[in-house]
Amino acid sequence: MGNPILFLILAVIAVGSALGMLLSRNAIYSALFLVLNFVTIAVFYLVLNAPFIAMVQITVYAGAIMVLFLFVIMLLGAERLGGVGAVRDWEWATAALLGAVLVLVFILEMVLGKGVGGTETAVFVDSSPTALGLRLFEAYVFPFELTGVLLLIAMIGVVVLGRTKKRGKHVQHSNN
Amino acid sequence: MFSTVTIDWYVALSVLLFTIGAMGVLMRRNAIIIFMSVEMMLNSANLAFVAFARHLGDLDGQVLTFFVITVAAAEVAVGLALIVTIFRTKHSISIDELNVLKG
Amino acid sequence: MNAFGLAPLLLIFPAIGVLFNTFAGPRLIRAERKTGEMYAGWFASLMAILAFLVAVMLYFSLRAHDYHAETVRLFDWIVVPSAGFTIPWAIQVDTLSVTMMLVVTGVGSLIHIYAIGYMHGDPGFHRFFAYLNLFLFFMLILVSGSTYLMLFVGWEGVGLCSYLLIGFWFDRVNEQGKVMNADAGRKAFVVNRVGDFAMVLAMILLFWAFGSLDFGAVFGSAVDLFAHGEMVTLFGMEMTVGAVLTAVTILFLLGAAGKSAQIPFYVWLPDAMAGPTPVSALIHAATMVTAGVYLMVRSNVLLEIARQSTLDGVAGASLLGLSGPDWIALTGAATAVLAGLIAFTQFDIKKVLAYSTISQLGFMVAAAGMGAYVAAMFHLITHAFFKALLFLGSGSVIHGMEHGHHHVHEHDHEHDAHHKAEKFDPQDMRTMGGLRHKMPITFAVYMVGTLALAGIFPFAGFWSKDEILAHASTNHGSIFTAVYILLTVAAFCTAFYMGRQIKMIFFGSPRHEAAEQASESAPIMTYPLIILAALSLLGGLLNFPFFTESAYKAAKAAHSFGINLGLEHWLEHSITAFALTEEGIVHMPHTPTWMQVDVALISTILALAALALAVGVVYRKRPQTATERDPLQGTPIWWFAILPFEWFYMHTVVPAFKWSARWLAEVLDGAFWHDFVHDNIIRDLFVGFAKFSANVLDANGVDGLVNGSGRLTHAVGAVLRKTQTGYARNYALGVFLGTVILLAYFIFAS
Repeated sequence: MGNPILFLILAVIAVGSALGMLLSRNAIYSALFLVLNFVTIAVFYLVLNAPFIAMVQITVYAGAIMVLFLFVIMLLGAERLGGVGAVRDWEWATAALLGAVLVLVFILEMVLGKGVGGTETAVFVDSSPTALGLRLFEAYVFPFELTGVLLLIAMIGVVVLGRTKKRGKHVQHSNN
Repeated sequence: MFSTVTIDWYVALSVLLFTIGAMGVLMRRNAIIIFMSVEMMLNSANLAFVAFARHLGDLDGQVLTFFVITVAAAEVAVGLALIVTIFRTKHSISIDELNVLKG
Repeated sequence: MNAFGLAPLLLIFPAIGVLFNTFAGPRLIRAERKTGEMYAGWFASLMAILAFLVAVMLYFSLRAHDYHAETVRLFDWIVVPSAGFTIPWAIQVDTLSVTMMLVVTGVGSLIHIYAIGYMHGDPGFHRFFAYLNLFLFFMLILVSGSTYLMLFVGWEGVGLCSYLLIGFWFDRVNEQGKVMNADAGRKAFVVNRVGDFAMVLAMILLFWAFGSLDFGAVFGSAVDLFAHGEMVTLFGMEMTVGAVLTAVTILFLLGAAGKSAQIPFYVWLPDAMAGPTPVSALIHAATMVTAGVYLMVRSNVLLEIARQSTLDGVAGASLLGLSGPDWIALTGAATAVLAGLIAFTQFDIKKVLAYSTISQLGFMVAAAGMGAYVAAMFHLITHAFFKALLFLGSGSVIHGMEHGHHHVHEHDHEHDAHHKAEKFDPQDMRTMGGLRHKMPITFAVYMVGTLALAGIFPFAGFWSKDEILAHASTNHGSIFTAVYILLTVAAFCTAFYMGRQIKMIFFGSPRHEAAEQASESAPIMTYPLIILAALSLLGGLLNFPFFTESAYKAAKAAHSFGINLGLEHWLEHSITAFALTEEGIVHMPHTPTWMQVDVALISTILALAALALAVGVVYRKRPQTATERDPLQGTPIWWFAILPFEWFYMHTVVPAFKWSARWLAEVLDGAFWHDFVHDNIIRDLFVGFAKFSANVLDANGVDGLVNGSGRLTHAVGAVLRKTQTGYARNYALGVFLGTVILLAYFIFAS
């Protein structure tokens, strides 16, 4: 599952970019840190024998989704809206505590218990786009179709949400 | 212990990223940042999926990741549209403004 | 031939008539008055005739069946499974009940037909026939029931019909503005309640003592217990059968006194003449009022046991030293005389007949009390014939008088409209006179009825009355002697007031212009009269006695009685006392089976003398005018006759009744029951409990629980609402907390 050194470097970049997203006061920076995070994870995918998913990650997430985020941020002018300290103390403290507990639980599990255990399998499964596509259209054809419907619904939803104001005007106009 | 990268390493990384994402959701007021944190949490899960797919030699994990990305894309589209709509009425994207559920 | 299965039809036909005239009658008459009346009236009459035919078939069935009684069970009426006790609704077909059925439906049919003519043009025509059929229905239940309870249903039912028909013209008011007809109906109903109460008590006694109300069961059980001298436990006391039955017979006497208008309850019958005349004929002369006599004859076993118990000196089996039947006989005889005397003083044509009916019912009751059951039934039958005839004849006279009055009226109308206001009573005999020329048929049949009632040979009344008198005279004992003397006096009275009546109605000259203009009634009214006249003439053949003792003995030896003593041989199959006498258990007074010439001669001579006295002496030249005083008015006999009725009744019975009613109402019901029991016990307890419930249980318990749950919810909500900050962040924190806990659980638990 990859070189330990490579893993550690990538892991530091991923965690660092994630923290950067979390802590940046400027939303633009947060978005850019997130892009970095996504790209790092894409590299992980490559390491983990998932080239197709890595490409999808870069095009869809780091590309399309993040462009959308940046676009909205700039459209609304919402770059600066307070950092982590903006919330109340008890909220901040509880959240941090819970996060620490979560991490601690895993660390305890891995140190005290056996962890997930085992090493990587010797087998490299064929993860080419062809194999993935066959898998998708054989075993997962129904969820795939469902996903298509979901995307259609999302599209319609977005159109409807965008239209509301216009319709209201139209109604008002007709009333006059 | 550090000679080879095991699945545990990826799980640990996934947990870290997930926790950071969760912190983002819990600590930020900016709806867009919260949204981005959610995306990060999804990504941490994706990373775990792919890692397990590699670990078990099974393609299903990757297929699931594929679906998650698709759903996330749809979610972002709708979510951002909602944020835009809310901004139009409230002239703010601070979720503290959206407290009509206050008891 | 066996037609016992047809017995239910006896009840069904009149019931159909009731339904027809209740539902279809009004429409028919509204649609077309004349034909509608024909349909309504003839349908009701047809139902009566069909019932009569059923009775005739039952008669022949009984003959073919060797006179054995048959019980036709229709359905179970009262069932108490836990007690194993059932009262069926069953029709008893025996010689006694069939006799009554024949009389009721036969005379009833004729009166129905007569009423078509009499009620013509009355607005309540269909209602009248519905009531008449309803009466037949209940009367047939009364005579056909196989238990005392069924008899009582009929008893009350005919009482209801009597009330309805007396008050048939309930909206008519007299000069004082009183609704006399409705009042008369109420009076009859209320007076009868007293007797009916006694009936209920008698039935309760019978049921307690013998565990049944079935005729056969009660009689059988009574005879068994009596023959073995066993005791009956009542109210925790050992009582002799004789004592129980003495009480029962006295209570029966009270019941019969109500229904059959005997002393002291006879007062309702004269007032009952307010009803239409066919009603007076059917209900208040021929049938319903004889129900008391039927009850006595039906209960002959109980009467004879009571009599025998007194003779044997059984403990408690007498009242003031006399047995129950003795009381019955004396009451009947006293009523016969008293009513006969009161009849002297009446001017209303129907009231004379009403008192006559009371008097004749006294004969029957006396006969039953003396153990002359066959004679009582015989007189009941012949009386039904001739009294129905007399009433219908009087109806014909009234009809003729009204007709004449209308005629005069129309004539007057032309010159003097105010003449209308003149009072005119078509029933007042003083306004009549000389009607024999105007109404020849009515006169002829009325004469037949009069002679029959007066007991003149060879009319029906002679034979039946003579049998009663012969029975009284041939049996030994002070009671029999007293009854004989009283009844002979009553027979004399009968002839006298009837002579007075026919003199005032038919002889002399008309005393009112209405009488001058009176005319004969329609054939539909006169034909039933002619048939009844024939029956009154020939009714004696029913129980024709032997003329000499030797003739009787010869016939008995040959076992061939011919037409003689037909009724007795017919009825002896139902009158169990005959058989018990033969077995020696009781000793029923014996009725002579051959003619007692001396008795017959005395009564005939007295009757003829009374008739002659009335027609030829007292009322010879009088009255001349409608307003003239009666020759007897002012004489002691007048006062004697009128006193007991008005004065005694108004000054003893009424105040006593009023006082006791007031005591019951004010002291017992008002002061004790309402004021004390209700207020102090029921109300206060209730209020106390209610207050406790309201103030303690409800306020603290129920309200505490309900309000407490509300307050608890409120308090919890007040705390919990603080968690609902409205910030999505806080909710997400909750979700995250749950996630962490679940993850930790899964990891550490596995």
